[in-house]
Amino acid sequence: MPATTHPGIDVDDAWQAIEACFAQKWTDGLPVVPPTEPLVERMLAAGPWRADEVLLHEPVRDRTVTAWHAAINAVMAGCKPEYFPVVGAALIAIGDPEFTLHGPATSTGGAALMVIVNGPVRERIGLHGGGNLFGPGIRANATIGRTLRLVLLNCLDCRPGVLDQSTQGWAGKYTLCFAEHEAASPWEPLHVSRGFRAGQSTVTVFAAESNHNVLVHAAREPETLLVAFADTMAALGSFSPGRSVIVFAPEHAQHLKRAGWSRARTQAWLYEHARRPLADLKRAGKIEAQFLVNPDTRRWLYGPESDRAERGPDAADAHARVLPGDERIFVHRGLGPDDMLLSVGGGAAGGHSAFFPAWSRGRSVPFVTKEVPGEVPA
Amino acid sequence: MTRILDPTLRATPPRAATGAARPALLSGATIGLLANGKTHGMAFLDRVAEHLRARHGVGELLRATKPNASAPAPADDAALLAKHCVAVVTAIGD
Repeated sequence: MPATTHPGIDVDDAWQAIEACFAQKWTDGLPVVPPTEPLVERMLAAGPWRADEVLLHEPVRDRTVTAWHAAINAVMAGCKPEYFPVVGAALIAIGDPEFTLHGPATSTGGAALMVIVNGPVRERIGLHGGGNLFGPGIRANATIGRTLRLVLLNCLDCRPGVLDQSTQGWAGKYTLCFAEHEAASPWEPLHVSRGFRAGQSTVTVFAAESNHNVLVHAAREPETLLVAFADTMAALGSFSPGRSVIVFAPEHAQHLKRAGWSRARTQAWLYEHARRPLADLKRAGKIEAQFLVNPDTRRWLYGPESDRAERGPDAADAHARVLPGDERIFVHRGLGPDDMLLSVGGGAAGGHSAFFPAWSRGRSVPFVTKEVPGEVPA
Repeated sequence: MTRILDPTLRATPPRAATGAARPALLSGATIGLLANGKTHGMAFLDRVAEHLRARHGVGELLRATKPNASAPAPADDAALLAKHCVAVVTAIGD
C-alpha cells in the first residue's frame, strides 16, 4: 500500500491514474498529470505558503482553498514547481473580496479568469507575452491559467451544468494567462501604473468575455488607429457599463509611442469615442427596466442628468421606447476612462490587437493586482 | 501501487451550517424576504409572500435586497432578518 495518509485513489500505472482522474471528474476534459504526494510536496515547497495556509476563501459557499489543494491542482494542470508562486498569487487575487468570485465563476455570462503577469518572474519561468500569447504552445501560460480553472472545478464545485451555469462559455475558460510584453509598451509596465515597483512581479486578474480582434493595418496616427478600437468597444453585442481590457499589438503600440500618447490620453480618447446614442441601445433591447431604478446604471445611461430619467406615464416602458432626445444622449462603454486597462502583447508583425469586454451585462468585477512572492531560497 | 491525491474538498467539507429550528406555526409570524438583487428577485418573493399570507396567514414582511448578487448578504441585513423574523425566504429572480 502507498505510504501516504492523504485521501486519494490507489492505481497501478500511469494510464490507470489518468483514467481514474477522468472517472472521478477531476479534470477539465483534458488529461491531467496524476498528482502523487512527492509531486505535490515539490510544488508546495516552491512557494512561501504552508500546506494549511488559506489562499482563497469563497464566502458565498464558504469554501476555503489551502496551499495544499492549490498545489495538487497545479500538479494536475502540468505546472512546474517554479510556477507555484504565480499560481498562489493569482488565487489570492481572485479570492479578493472585491473580485466577488462567485459571480464570474457561476454566471450564465461564462467568464474566463484572465491573468496578466508583470515583472521579473516572467523571464524567470518563461511566461510568454510575444506572438500567439493567447494561443497554445507555452507551458507556463497554459498551465498557470489552467490551474485556476481546475481549482474552480475541483474545490469550488464550479462544474458545467452544476454551479457553472455558463450559457455558452468560451475556450478561454480552459486557460487565459499571459505576460505583458513590457519591452514593446510605450508606457510604464501595467503593474507600475497600478502602484507597484518595476522590480516587483505581479498578477492582475480580470473576468473576461472572449476577445474581439481589432484589425488595423493602414493607420499611423492615434486618432486614426484608435477609431477601430472605439468602434469595437461600442459594438452592441458586448456593450455594457462594465470594464475593458485592451491588449495592443506591438505594431499598434509603436504608433502610440511615436506620437507620444500617454496611457491616460489613450484611455480618455477611447472612453470619449466608445459610445452609442441611448436610442440605439433601446432599439436593440439593451436597456432593462432595472437599469432605470439602479442609481449606477441611471448615471451610466444619463450621466450628470440622471435625474432627467423618464418618469410618470412613460416610466413603465421607458427602457424600451425611444423618446424625444434619446438620439442626443450618448452612453459610453464603462463609467469612465479608468474602467480601461491597457496592456501590450503579441508578435512583432501584424496589426491585430485585442479588446476583452468584462463578463456581465452590469458592472462586473474590478481589476485586482497582487504581488507574486519571491522564490524560496533553495 | 501509487496513490493519486484527491484535489477536491470532499475530505474537508465546509463548516456545517446548523439548521434553524422550524417554526411550529407561521400564522402571524414576521417573515423575511431576501432577494438576490437581480431584476425580478423581489417581484418573485412578493408572489411567494402572497401565497404564504393566503395559506398560512403570515404577519409582517421584512424585505431586504442584496446590493450584489455575487456576494453574501450584508452583515447588517442578515442580523436584522435574524433578529426580527421567524423564517426567511430567499430566492433568485433574473
